[in-house]
Amino acid sequence: MSAPFLQIQRLRKTYDQVVAIDHVSLDIKKGEFMTFLGPSGSGKSTTLYIVAGFQSPTEGRVLLDGKSLLSVAPNRRNIGMVFQRYTLFPHLTVGENVAFPLRVRRLPDAQVKSKVEQMLKLVHLADCRDRMPDQLSGGMQQRVAIARALAYDPPVLLMDEPLSALDKKLREELQTELRRIHQQTGVTILYVTHDQEEALRLSDRIAVFNKGRIEQVGSGEELYAKPASRFVASFIGNSNFLPVTLAGSNGASQAVFPNGKPVSAGGFDHALNAGDNGALMLRPEQIRIRAQPSEAAEGGLQVVVRDVTYLGDTMHYAVATPWEQEIAVRTSISSREPSLAIGARAWLEWEHESARVFAA
Amino acid sequence: MLLDFDRLGPLRWVLLSVGAAVSLFLLLPVLFIVALSFGSSQWLLFPPPGWTLRWYSMLFSDPGWLDSLITSVELGLVVMVLSVVLGLFASLALTRGAFRGRALLKAFFLTPMVLPVVVLAVALYGFFLRIGLTGTLVGFVIGHLIIALPFSIIAISNSLESFDTALEDAALICGASPFEVKWRVTLPAIRLGVFAAAIFSFLASWDEVVVSIFMASPTLQTLPVRIWSTLRQDLTPVIAAASSLLVGLTVILMLLGLVLKRGKS
Repeated sequence: MSAPFLQIQRLRKTYDQVVAIDHVSLDIKKGEFMTFLGPSGSGKSTTLYIVAGFQSPTEGRVLLDGKSLLSVAPNRRNIGMVFQRYTLFPHLTVGENVAFPLRVRRLPDAQVKSKVEQMLKLVHLADCRDRMPDQLSGGMQQRVAIARALAYDPPVLLMDEPLSALDKKLREELQTELRRIHQQTGVTILYVTHDQEEALRLSDRIAVFNKGRIEQVGSGEELYAKPASRFVASFIGNSNFLPVTLAGSNGASQAVFPNGKPVSAGGFDHALNAGDNGALMLRPEQIRIRAQPSEAAEGGLQVVVRDVTYLGDTMHYAVATPWEQEIAVRTSISSREPSLAIGARAWLEWEHESARVFAA
Repeated sequence: MLLDFDRLGPLRWVLLSVGAAVSLFLLLPVLFIVALSFGSSQWLLFPPPGWTLRWYSMLFSDPGWLDSLITSVELGLVVMVLSVVLGLFASLALTRGAFRGRALLKAFFLTPMVLPVVVLAVALYGFFLRIGLTGTLVGFVIGHLIIALPFSIIAISNSLESFDTALEDAALICGASPFEVKWRVTLPAIRLGVFAAAIFSFLASWDEVVVSIFMASPTLQTLPVRIWSTLRQDLTPVIAAASSLLVGLTVILMLLGLVLKRGKS
């Protein structure tokens, strides 16, 4: 494995008394597509803007290829960036927009011309070279912005929610484009979004931000299957959180539902001790619902069906636990039980390995 | 909409005639002056018994009138340039600056618009008399600049406020130096505001008469001052010609402003 290309080390940023980010550290490999995912105000944009140079951290370092970035002015960092808002220069044609970074670098005309052509071809907008930005749709404008940001072959491309102003269909189209451009150019991308689906679709790895800290870094699959915290579990995918009380000695390895039924899990928060209150995470699609209790399943939980929804490829059930908590269950159409109607009794089963217990 | 013009029925004829009457009321004096400037009667008879360009040739052959015309144009151009440059810097500070008392400062910059001009003129006169600036072009420039600057600041501030600073961030990260960012991105993006500032600044000086009367000397007069002082001595159609010239340039500049505005939307 190659050495980290971009290193973010113990970044901290405070405004007056408010801590925007705290001890954010992250190593990014060359060519990686890294996404910062989190709700607004979680510090993901602040971190990106520090890498860009628009903000400076209170503490910490940013190294690119082993050299410190923070002492370099933003216009000398040679980094590409695409913004959330449309930032094409309105008085310049599409071609001149893409040429802008090359012109300020005083490159010869012939070189500028061929590079502009190459970049517009990359984003499939070669025909639009002489149009003005306001004659383009939002999606096209962002594609030109990507071409402009990549025209000077930056080692890193920063993207600050570049698709959030577009409608769903266009957004998905551009996500596919973005994957292609990433593969084609091999540029290292730092991508900020609050949309978990977008993060899963695009990224090699995702850093989940919450309250100014990184909660977990990993591939989408890792985050989904083994979330490190209740926050990650609730932010990526849908989850039910069932209240449990921890039991067992030296650390916790056993939990008890409010109705006294014991339950085990694939992972426990290390900070929890016997007697503490916890939350057992269950993904809706990892639960099986049955009309009869099966003998083998030790984890069967008896519930009452509250609502049944047919969603084409899946069935969605809302069921109530003995302690009157509503949980969501999703099963494939093929494994549905026709007798499960509203008001019916049912039994829930799941693989214990897939369940995880977090602090409540 | 309920109050769309073609839904108003008979009421729209009333509206139409009121509109026409008001327009006529506003335009009539100007039309009169322009008609009289081409009329052949020396006594300003209306309707003119015949048509002539005599008054215009008299205007352009009289060195007194010509001097004041040149003074007006020169003064207008100097005021225009200074007003745009100062207005640009002031507007940048007023829209971008993060300092205490910014709103107060902006209000202060705009006071010349609401202050009675004659008060300003008397104050300037008293001050300039002491330091020997009355009757000089510098005195005129300063006086007119005070009147023109608020127009310039309003026009440029407005376009700066609707300008998204993310464009500057984008230009900066593209590698442009802070100066290049302002010169190649900000300034072109707000150019319509700058043009408007230039037009309004020139016009503010071009038709200014109150401060000018106080600043003028027998050898240094602007066109409006000359019209006013000539009028006090005798009534000649040359005044009508000079006035028409004054109106003509104003209308042309206003139309230019409109065309620029149209180009924007």
